[in-house]
Amino acid sequence: MRHNFIDRYANLDSPLHVLEARTKILGYLSLIAALLLMPGRNDVVLLVYAFVAAILVGASQVPLGYIAGRSLVILPFVLLAGIAAPWTNSFDGARFMALATRSFLSVTILLLMTSTTPFPELLRGLQKLGCPRILILNLGFLYRYLFVLTEEVLRMRQARDCRRAGRAPPRVELKLLGSMLGSLVLRSFERAERMYQAMLSRGYAGEFPVLAPRRFTWRDLTFLAGIALLIVSSFRYAGR
Amino acid sequence: MTEYAIRITRLSYSYPDGTKALEDVDLDVRVGERVALVGPSGAGKSTLLLHLNGVLSGKGMIRVMGKPLGDTALREIRRHVGLVFQNPDDQLFCPTVFEDVAFGPLNLSISPQEIPHRVERALRDVGLDQSIRNRPSHHLSHGERKRVALASVLIMEPDILALDEPSSNLDPRNRRHLIELVASLPSTLVLATHDLGMVMALCPRTALMDRGKIWADGETRRILADARLMEEHGLEVP
Ligand SMILES: Nc1ncnc2c1ncn2[C@@H]1O[C@H](COP(=O)(O)OP(=O)(O)OP(=O)(O)O)[C@@H](O)[C@H]1O
Ligand SMILES: [Mg+2]
Repeated sequence: MRHNFIDRYANLDSPLHVLEARTKILGYLSLIAALLLMPGRNDVVLLVYAFVAAILVGASQVPLGYIAGRSLVILPFVLLAGIAAPWTNSFDGARFMALATRSFLSVTILLLMTSTTPFPELLRGLQKLGCPRILILNLGFLYRYLFVLTEEVLRMRQARDCRRAGRAPPRVELKLLGSMLGSLVLRSFERAERMYQAMLSRGYAGEFPVLAPRRFTWRDLTFLAGIALLIVSSFRYAGR
Repeated sequence: MTEYAIRITRLSYSYPDGTKALEDVDLDVRVGERVALVGPSGAGKSTLLLHLNGVLSGKGMIRVMGKPLGDTALREIRRHVGLVFQNPDDQLFCPTVFEDVAFGPLNLSISPQEIPHRVERALRDVGLDQSIRNRPSHHLSHGERKRVALASVLIMEPDILALDEPSSNLDPRNRRHLIELVASLPSTLVLATHDLGMVMALCPRTALMDRGKIWADGETRRILADARLMEEHGLEVP
């Protein structure tokens, strides 16, 4: 049963992993903002961004298949927008391609951020950047409890499959599914409650501690400077 | 320092669904004493342990290290009482074993350089291989998880240890090891278990629980040898 899917590769030791969380949050988010706000439709600029994203993915040592696979999750949404487009009056293929590329690249960059930074560090970075505490707390619990939910589901499915022989009529199957969902909510709720108690017992006081967090160094400065340079020059080029 | 680590007076508790789990329980445990809680399944042993650090709170009075258990003192009391849950899954909530074991010390603002050493020692104490550090707790076997949970509590060096079925699912060697480990600790111990061998090895005193009440409380040798008492409460003389 695996649960650490968000930051599965977050503990590697690549040039991107050693950057401080704030650097990555700021750097990647401004890249995404630039991508989405880029004026006009300039294929050269998009190509440059794709190239940069590819370099970053390469540098991160996160398996390409992992990032590519997850980025494709966005595809259905983009396709939906594409399908809807003929009904609006301004459909054009190039524009659709540009939209698809931008979305794909944004998701790739976002994935890079989460897979090169352990989640607790990401939270710390957000907090230092002035993100409201209540949001940080909620994200923290979401992260801890996500696997509780997946695990309960896997376990219940296992239990069900062990006890049933053959296929029941659809009506019965549906009823079974309904009662499973009901008890899933209850079980996860109670378990989350007990886990919270365990956290309190071990001194949890509203913050997820991070052991030896990364520090802001010249590397972070270089990274941010590089990104700033890219964004400024691409805007100047695109705005011409 | 107070003489009693734990004083429980007339404690009653019903679960939200109405199940009466504890009825007028009295139990005093002296500092440094080792007490076993034995009794059939559903007797209320786990429910009682969950009261010791405020996970549950029923009617009645509980004092831990002389302080009444109320909302105000709870944070401090939790540092005194190390509770190892019956189900290790309730206790482990971090992506890796290392993070789980380090969680407590990190919250106690122990210097970060020292933490890896402490984790290493805690894992060694419970007989786990260091190679387990970076694995997710949820991929471990039940017995391994049980020991990680124990390590995550021992590393806090609590004055009072409350262990719920610590030897369940342990192989004989690790069970032996666990008994030796607990015997070597200076902590006050409350041990809820069905493992009467472990009780005899560790606890001079035993309290027998059944249906939410304590029926007998005294010398382990005497209680475990009382065939009538034991059989009346669904147990066997070992
Ligand atoms: N979450 C709950 N909600 C309702 N009733 C509960 C809950 N947990 C336990 N009970 C009930 O409370 C009673 C005491 O349970 P408890 O878990 O304390 O027993 P136990 O002595 O620890 O048993 P075991 O030896 O099997 O661990 C039982 O009758 C049980 O059914
Ligand atoms: Mg129990």
